[in-house]
Amino acid sequence: MAGRRGYGVNELPPATHLLVSSLQHVLLMVTSLVIPILFASQLGGSPEFTAGLIAFSMLAAGVGSVIQSVGLPFIGSGYLCPNVCGPSYFSVSLSAAWIGGVALTRGMTIVAGAVEMALAPLIQRLRRVFPAFIVGLVVAMVGVSILAPAISSFFGLALRDDAIRSADMIIGGVSLLVMVLANLWGRRLAKMYCLLIGTLVGWGLAVILAPEYWHDLAAASDLPMLAVPSLGSSFRGITFDLRMVIPFVVIAVSGSLKSFGNLLAAQGISEPGLKETDFAPIRKGLLADGFSTVLAGLLGGVAVDTSSSNVGLAGATRVTSRWIGVGAGGIFVVLAFFPRLILILSAIPRPVMGASLIFAGSFMVCTGMKQMFSEPWDERKTFVVGISFFFGMSTAFLPGLYARTPRLVQTFFTDPLPTATVVAVLVNQLLGLDRLVSRWRWRQRRRR
Amino acid sequence: MRRRSSKDVWEGEVLHRLRAGVASVLLLLVIGAAPACRSRYADLDLSCYSYRDTRRLVQHVYDAARLLQEEGLAGLTQFRERSGRFRTDEFYLYVYRTDGTNLYHAGMPELEGRNLWEVTDKDGKPITQLVLEALRDPNNPHAWVHYSWWEPGSFYPVPKSSCHFEVATPEGEKLFVGGGLDYPHEEREFIRIAVDSAADLLEERGSEALLQIADPISAFNYRDVRVFVFRENGEMLVAPAINSTFSQTNLLECADEVGHRPFAHALGALEASEAVWEIFMARSRYQTRLLRKCLYVRKAAWDDGEAYIAAITDLPQPPY
Repeated sequence: MAGRRGYGVNELPPATHLLVSSLQHVLLMVTSLVIPILFASQLGGSPEFTAGLIAFSMLAAGVGSVIQSVGLPFIGSGYLCPNVCGPSYFSVSLSAAWIGGVALTRGMTIVAGAVEMALAPLIQRLRRVFPAFIVGLVVAMVGVSILAPAISSFFGLALRDDAIRSADMIIGGVSLLVMVLANLWGRRLAKMYCLLIGTLVGWGLAVILAPEYWHDLAAASDLPMLAVPSLGSSFRGITFDLRMVIPFVVIAVSGSLKSFGNLLAAQGISEPGLKETDFAPIRKGLLADGFSTVLAGLLGGVAVDTSSSNVGLAGATRVTSRWIGVGAGGIFVVLAFFPRLILILSAIPRPVMGASLIFAGSFMVCTGMKQMFSEPWDERKTFVVGISFFFGMSTAFLPGLYARTPRLVQTFFTDPLPTATVVAVLVNQLLGLDRLVSRWRWRQRRRR
Repeated sequence: MRRRSSKDVWEGEVLHRLRAGVASVLLLLVIGAAPACRSRYADLDLSCYSYRDTRRLVQHVYDAARLLQEEGLAGLTQFRERSGRFRTDEFYLYVYRTDGTNLYHAGMPELEGRNLWEVTDKDGKPITQLVLEALRDPNNPHAWVHYSWWEPGSFYPVPKSSCHFEVATPEGEKLFVGGGLDYPHEEREFIRIAVDSAADLLEERGSEALLQIADPISAFNYRDVRVFVFRENGEMLVAPAINSTFSQTNLLECADEVGHRPFAHALGALEASEAVWEIFMARSRYQTRLLRKCLYVRKAAWDDGEAYIAAITDLPQPPY
């Protein structure tokens, strides 16, 4: 039964709530469909190619979400942490497509997924290098990592340095205000469906204020309602290329770190009573994430990744039932066969998307900070968190600086989340050397 | 169960009214903001532009042209109104007779009444003459011209792209009205216009056109964009990066940062079409990620065979 906390991780909501909550998560998931659309446009793909790529990506993300949330004995975290099309793979996938067509992108996506799966069992061994305050930092950085897409979308910006319209700022502002007020002041249903309510109000306002948003919706009438994803000639074959292994492995490691953060956050909000991190579901979750990426490669979609914003939404609404993840994944799979509905959903105005991401991201940042400061603090932690935060954020503030550093530095200093995580782990180990030495001396004395 | 005190009831009532008030304000905002208008740009195709800035400039100049068409030279008084809709901080308008006489210049009023037919930019581009050429070019529906200018009141050159519309006023005057963007975005449409116009010129004039295409002050060369020409075997007739073909590089062998051969790929695609867009990766020492650029190639009949005319520009970048 739903209490003040909404629905707990193992609670099965009634059918209507399950459906509406799943749809609410789907609204966030469809924002990632911009990745296959952009990918196809950069390759100059035909409308059939684009439709196929979107459909296969949705199938992979949908099946991956189901596996992730349902929590099978060996795979899947059992948390509400759906899969979406992963933006981090975009550039390398495009490079692979230019060298060897979609066949090579598929092959290298499978390699990346296999690397993620291989990394999963190592997580359990990393228990010591991820104390609670570093876990909190990683979760906060997951929220920070969606800052750029959230803010640029909020202002309706599609291209760098382009003009910003007042209408978009109003749409974004009203959407965010409605989401937040519904969450703060709303009673049970309004609180539970605050993102859905904000999205609908913002969408309605956008259609009135900016005619282009209405035109985006009207374009859906040109598409068929039902269509089976077709395996066109572009999707045949799977190939591999040694030259692409390193770029894909680097992105796979970075993707694993991001999913690690997402799963830690999902655990934090789903099982707030846990005294310390339970790494078993995290490991199973990473395995599911890697498996979904392999599946995307096999099917011919773009690589998939866990979604930070959906975890944030679950936290904000306190509806963490894993069955909603299963429902959202199921809806994503079904939607893959309905091109018209896909276009309608992906026509959500950019400022409304931005508002949703800010809404979800705020929760992620604060969840991480709460977790970080939940244990006694000392100077050592100040330096670990402070130094890693400085270097992590610097990749966003000063990207040009890292372009002039040696290649090895560039490999690890890419985005705030992976950079802060790697630096935090290294600095924590370094500053803990004195404790290691004193522990060793103590053991030596005991032996004598 | 605890009974609610009168204070609790009062607070609940206030909260309830506050929520209802906020909801009503939001609803009024939605309803009040509803525009009941039909777009006045229905016959203006702006779909070829990626950036809003570019679309807004074309709409602004188009509005000015329509006003002059309807009201004639009397319409200039509306341009001069300080708080009028034609005075913006982003761009300014100018109006010329087709003989090069300036009638109105929002940025530099001292130019009004002067004939600027011979005026050139710092690189020697004859700006007014290029505008007239652009207005006659069927490949250039909004008569874009690219040159260097300076912001009114400042002293350093700025790159500029301006669009123009020709107007026949009720008084029988032939004018053109224009407006430009300082530091413009590199639209893909700009290289499409340059390449298509160069292809038409090549088909019309043959080898003679090559000199004009290579001329740095022609419409085929602006900022970092250069229209170039090559043969089916990759031999360069007008080189893409320098003003000479002293060093022959087979373009078909050229590969980008990830091994993609854009020219070879484009020629394959051109077997089935007249023109193609290719995307390729380039490296910048100031960015960790590779840059995406695009190449537009068009084929033209030339010298008992075919020649390929192309240009390269930056691809619009996502905001993050």
